[in-house]
Amino acid sequence: MFGRKRKLDDFGAEIDAHLQLEFERLRERGLSEGEARAAARRAFGNVMQAKECFYESSRWLWWDHFWQDVCYGARSLRKSPGFTVVAVLTLALGIGANTAIFSMVDTLMFRPLPIRNPGEVVFLSLPRDATHFESEFSGPEFRQIRDQTSDIFSDVGAMIMGGVSGAIGRSNGLTVEGATRPIQTLFVTGDFFQLLGIRPYLGRLILPSEGKTPDADPVVVLSYRYWKARFQGDPGVIGKPAFINGHPVTIVGVAPNGFLGPTPIFEMEAYLPLGMKTVETGESAAFLTDVDTRDLLIVGRLAPGISIERANAVLAALGQQLAKQYPRVGVGTVLQAKPLRPPGIVDGPNPLPALAGLFLTLAGVVFGLACLNVANLALVRAIARVREMAVRAALGGKRARLVRHLLSETMLLTLLGSVAGMMASTLALRTISSVGAASDLPLVFEFPFNARVFVFALSIAVIAIAIVGIIPALRASSGNLSKILHEGGRSSTARSQRTHTALVAVQVGASLTLLIVAGLFVRSLRHAQQADLGFDPTNVLNMSFDPGEIGYGKAQGAEFYNRVLTQVRSLPGVQSASLAMIVPLGDSVQRDQISVPGYVAQRGEQPHAEYNAVSTEYFETMKIAVLRGRDFVDSDSESSLRVAIINEAMAERFWPGLDPIGRTFKRDGDSTHVIEIIGEVRNSRTEDPYSPYGPVFYVPIMQFYSSAQTLQIRTAGAPQAITPLVLAVVRGIAPTAPILSVRTMTSAVRNGVNGLLLFNLGAELTAALGLLGLTLAVVGIYGVMAYAVGQRTQEIGVRIALGAQSKSILWMISRQGLVIVGIGLGLGLLAAVAVGQLVGDFLVGIGPTDPFTYLSVSVLLLLVALGAGYVPASRAMRIDPMVALRFE
Amino acid sequence: MSTQKDKEKLALLQGTLDLLILRTLIFGPQHGQGIARAIHETSDEEPLVEHGALYPPLQQLEERRWISASGEPLQITGGLVSIRYRPGGHKQLGKETTKWKRLAKAIGRILESEPARG
Repeated sequence: MFGRKRKLDDFGAEIDAHLQLEFERLRERGLSEGEARAAARRAFGNVMQAKECFYESSRWLWWDHFWQDVCYGARSLRKSPGFTVVAVLTLALGIGANTAIFSMVDTLMFRPLPIRNPGEVVFLSLPRDATHFESEFSGPEFRQIRDQTSDIFSDVGAMIMGGVSGAIGRSNGLTVEGATRPIQTLFVTGDFFQLLGIRPYLGRLILPSEGKTPDADPVVVLSYRYWKARFQGDPGVIGKPAFINGHPVTIVGVAPNGFLGPTPIFEMEAYLPLGMKTVETGESAAFLTDVDTRDLLIVGRLAPGISIERANAVLAALGQQLAKQYPRVGVGTVLQAKPLRPPGIVDGPNPLPALAGLFLTLAGVVFGLACLNVANLALVRAIARVREMAVRAALGGKRARLVRHLLSETMLLTLLGSVAGMMASTLALRTISSVGAASDLPLVFEFPFNARVFVFALSIAVIAIAIVGIIPALRASSGNLSKILHEGGRSSTARSQRTHTALVAVQVGASLTLLIVAGLFVRSLRHAQQADLGFDPTNVLNMSFDPGEIGYGKAQGAEFYNRVLTQVRSLPGVQSASLAMIVPLGDSVQRDQISVPGYVAQRGEQPHAEYNAVSTEYFETMKIAVLRGRDFVDSDSESSLRVAIINEAMAERFWPGLDPIGRTFKRDGDSTHVIEIIGEVRNSRTEDPYSPYGPVFYVPIMQFYSSAQTLQIRTAGAPQAITPLVLAVVRGIAPTAPILSVRTMTSAVRNGVNGLLLFNLGAELTAALGLLGLTLAVVGIYGVMAYAVGQRTQEIGVRIALGAQSKSILWMISRQGLVIVGIGLGLGLLAAVAVGQLVGDFLVGIGPTDPFTYLSVSVLLLLVALGAGYVPASRAMRIDPMVALRFE
Repeated sequence: MSTQKDKEKLALLQGTLDLLILRTLIFGPQHGQGIARAIHETSDEEPLVEHGALYPPLQQLEERRWISASGEPLQITGGLVSIRYRPGGHKQLGKETTKWKRLAKAIGRILESEPARG
């Protein structure tokens, strides 16, 4: 009955009853009515107080107060819109930037594949060296591994990536109702989907019975995204006849939404039974049977209760056995299972952890800055309110109540900030997702908003701000009220002023660090942009095709390319045109081991070189200088002697000091033909814009057919202008042939995955973070200076009244700012040197302690800081002594 | 500042009141006025406590499940909310009684002792 849920009215009735009983008892004892009533009241004591006591312990009170606090908080935030807007924006940017970057890192590195128990799924590999591995196996190897691992794996499957993600010079096309579009294929064994444990969105997936026989089971399963994008989610495509590279197939199903294939960054758009790899290879079934054709990626699911270590012990023994049966060169024998998780099956050193570490650090710094900044603002406000709090405490406000009141104001602020932060991070993620990589790979840059990260960032912000927010309430309720009230909140702030100064110094330091990192990235981008590529990308249009997508074989394809090239060369405005298998700084390069007569390889060295197949006029179109010998001519055809043109690095490497023209070598991939060198060209960039030049040779595309080729056209004017003419030419020759991509060479370099894309992204991201840091520091400096001036208004007024020059006032105020900035710069430089260690690997042309960057950024920050400090300082200079003295 | 002093005094009183209330209830269920009266009478009419001050500790005791209060606040004529004793309260009463007896004994001894000579 006395419990908290009871209403006050009931309690009132109880009291009345109590008084009545007492009254009756007293009446029985013979007191007069008036006396009895008075005595009963006297015995009961203060009725109002009893009621209040009851009320205050009721549960509703908490809500009442909470609501009061919220209303009061909203009112006081509205009263100082400047503070509110700055604090909310700062929080939003801090939370937004962090959520965006954490979401990205999560997608690229941690988010498990959307399959059943993703932790159990592994892929197999053999080590090449510490960081590289070989993950492709032959059909016989796969079958042996599958048969001998039934005690460690519950399922073992294999897959081959087709098209652009597979072998170079190939892309796949899906033809439905006469229209052909490129498609990224994955050829899988029948148990692949069963192994992953996923269900179709529509229709069915590949069945366990399918994929064993070459060319059998002509079915295709589309990815959800491809189906949505190309067929607008029409369920009617199921069962429709279609063609892949001209081979008839039937669309039987759609994979689940969100499943992009076994590698999260490249999207697989079509799944076919393994045996259907013949749509790429033609008649050949070597991928299934030949011991030397190693195309299969092997995935397995660990059997229940089997750890990856246990599996690896079994696999190591099996690897030894395989090495004896199917020997390989340059690969270790320790067969190993690796977890299949982002970024997927990527060979070589993975730059993601380091990059992620760097950006998480930077984002953390921005976040710290944002928290510091809001804390600082709140502190300024709080100090100004110490007096208010003291008054409230003096009037009987309870300490807990004051603290709660301030907390609710903070919560309100944080709520606003977090809503804005959510919008900011969504926007940032959308911007990053829309990055247009100049790549023909089905790259998916989709970074969904990560709620867990958001909540995490939010809670840190709440804690940071709450701590600062309640300081004045604690001070007011614990300190000497009369002292605070007498001082009027003026001189009581020496200690908090110091805290405040330290906070701003840290802010300046942190933002200097951010700016230096940004500066390093921007300078590095500059270096990469200005680097001599060895070719001239301006005024060149690239257009890629693969007539194989509409079923053209070698003869038909070669004829197609020939006619396109001839007709394009005669178009107006075309200076030269050529074909190439690989575009420099594109998605990948082609390498092969070579044997050079007379060249003595050092121990352990496997002589190898990059190569590209190009047509006549290639060096003219790319403006790569031919140093000696001759260019390719039309008579370098399939029937004539195999020839090659090499770059300077190759000549230097294999024939140092000699004339390479007329010398020969062999490519290990084709040991029947001797290749004779007919020319030497200048070094030019192929794989990336910064590594040292390596040996490269070019072969005539007539002697090395590639199904996918890129037409490169050098024009007199803007290269885009010629696009319609070229498209008309192609349609005239093969109306249904799809175009893989059209872009200028300049944009291919700028946005190429191996070009400047990462430099651009790095520079843009760090610059954005740096600017954020700078803005926050400016707000911080301005805040502390303005506050200092406000605090000293009276003092400054007295000084001016006593004849102080405005210059000396300015100096007095500025000096304070200079000290803060000075300390901050010192801290920042030290921190930057430390962070620079993280950055070093990503920089080109400059070191992580590039003095120019450090100096220029420091000067920039100093100037901006002085500017931010000047506004309040000049206000101090203009203080009217009369106004100042009447101030209080 | 003075509020804080009041609070301390009240806290001391509250502990005592708990004990008195529990003790009163061992003779059977009672209502608020009955408890007040009982305390008043068994202490030889010592004005130990204002009746109104009984209610906050009653609230607390109920929350700790040492007593239970049932019934409706009746019309003035009938009985009041009847308060009864619960097993939890019994244990508490034992503990508190021992404590208070020890304290009272100790204080009594000190107050009656001869001044020490040495």
